[in-house]
Amino acid sequence: MMPRYLIAAVTAGLVSTSMAQAQDAYVAGVEASFPPWAYVEEGEFKGIAIDAMRAIAEDQGLDVEFRDMPWPSLVPALAQGRIDLLVTGLNVTPERAEVLDFSIPWWENDDEILVASDSGKNMIDVLCCGATIGAQGGATQYQWLEENLVNREGVDVTLRGYEDYVVAIEDMLAGRTDAVVTSTDTAEEFISNGRPVTIVGTIQQNQPQALAVQEGDPNELLASLNRGILNIYASGQWEEIVHEYSPQASIRAIPTAMPDYVDSYQEPIPGYSE
Amino acid sequence: MIVEIIINHIPYLLDGLWVAIQLLVCLLAIGFVFGLLLALAEIYGHWTLRAFGMAFERVFRGIPELVLILMCFYGVGNWFPIEPFPAAVLALGLRSTAYQSQIFRGVIQAVPKGQIAAARAIGMSGVQAVRYVVLPQALRQMPGPWSNEFSSELKATSLAYVIGVVELTRQGRYIISSTQGNILIVFAVVALMYFVVNWLGNRVLYRAERALEIPGLERRESD
Repeated sequence: MMPRYLIAAVTAGLVSTSMAQAQDAYVAGVEASFPPWAYVEEGEFKGIAIDAMRAIAEDQGLDVEFRDMPWPSLVPALAQGRIDLLVTGLNVTPERAEVLDFSIPWWENDDEILVASDSGKNMIDVLCCGATIGAQGGATQYQWLEENLVNREGVDVTLRGYEDYVVAIEDMLAGRTDAVVTSTDTAEEFISNGRPVTIVGTIQQNQPQALAVQEGDPNELLASLNRGILNIYASGQWEEIVHEYSPQASIRAIPTAMPDYVDSYQEPIPGYSE
Repeated sequence: MIVEIIINHIPYLLDGLWVAIQLLVCLLAIGFVFGLLLALAEIYGHWTLRAFGMAFERVFRGIPELVLILMCFYGVGNWFPIEPFPAAVLALGLRSTAYQSQIFRGVIQAVPKGQIAAARAIGMSGVQAVRYVVLPQALRQMPGPWSNEFSSELKATSLAYVIGVVELTRQGRYIISSTQGNILIVFAVVALMYFVVNWLGNRVLYRAERALEIPGLERRESD
């Protein structure tokens, strides 16, 4: 009868998918809608973080496979150990330092205030007095805007959170927000893709970015990651990768400034301080 | 230019559609098997089974799909690591079980009670009566109401991207993020793909409905 055949089909389906995915490679969570750091083009993972991770994996003999997840899922997935490391343009923040362990930082970013090119607005128009600003929910820019503008008396701005920056920009171009605040490299990516947006101001953040592993580093990955980062930096591979995606970007010395609020940077850092 | 990009990406969109279809087949199959069992338990079972069936159905019909998917992946995954695809199949399959059990219950109860009495009178057991008299008639009336479930679950597969299943919607988002825009046109293509599958699936189901209809039963009103 029909059901027996169907049960067989379902079981076969479930078993084969879980077998195909059950292997020893480390699973690197990426948010593949974040160019130039991580994205998918014609079925292939691309971006600075992706290529750098591949180079590190090769350098350190690691077996890494990428898994795409939406941004709001990534940090919880890592905290729960559903993925082994996080490879994307991940900002180092005090809150995140409490639930995961960062590698040495390999990048620093500022935040840019973007407006629609034809709006003629300046940065005062869009950061005060009834303006509406868009940012990616849960991103450092969102938190910064919340703490420094939304929660401050007399500023009067409305903040809107989006799943990613593409929709935030789209909503601004549709006239529903006045500005979008995003990191420097994302902003430059939009402009080089010909989106009609203009940078009207920069918020100097010197925001470090790094890779991350589960709190406590249960797989002992940090030492390999840190050594790999230093090696690809020293060999010039890092510069090559960055410039492939972001030709004008200036390369900062690795590690970049390591903020005090990350406890693990105050202790001997595996793969770096030894 | 975007047209060219989309044409280049068609194979990947089709890949995504294939994942969505696999998801759909698996979850509908789970829903079919367990939905039937649940319906039989609810109609003919001991009162404890009936209570269980009712509770199951109320709970799984009462929770949004998205929440079920997240609960399956993160909640269940806490004790028993489950990959994104099976987690999505499980979450949507259990929900489909609840809905399909109601479809089964409807078609089974549409078979007049006298038929069981008649079957028992000629010496069949209760199980035999259900197996050989009620179910064959009931199942022939399934395709119509079931096409609703098919359509709604096909659309629900698009939610699986939240736990990392790269299905059609996610493949569409890849194009949007690698080109930093073109939301409307990309999603229009994605929508068209869902629509075509839905339409084809429904055509098959309508045809099945006509082929399986019980002569003299469905068309009574037009006689």
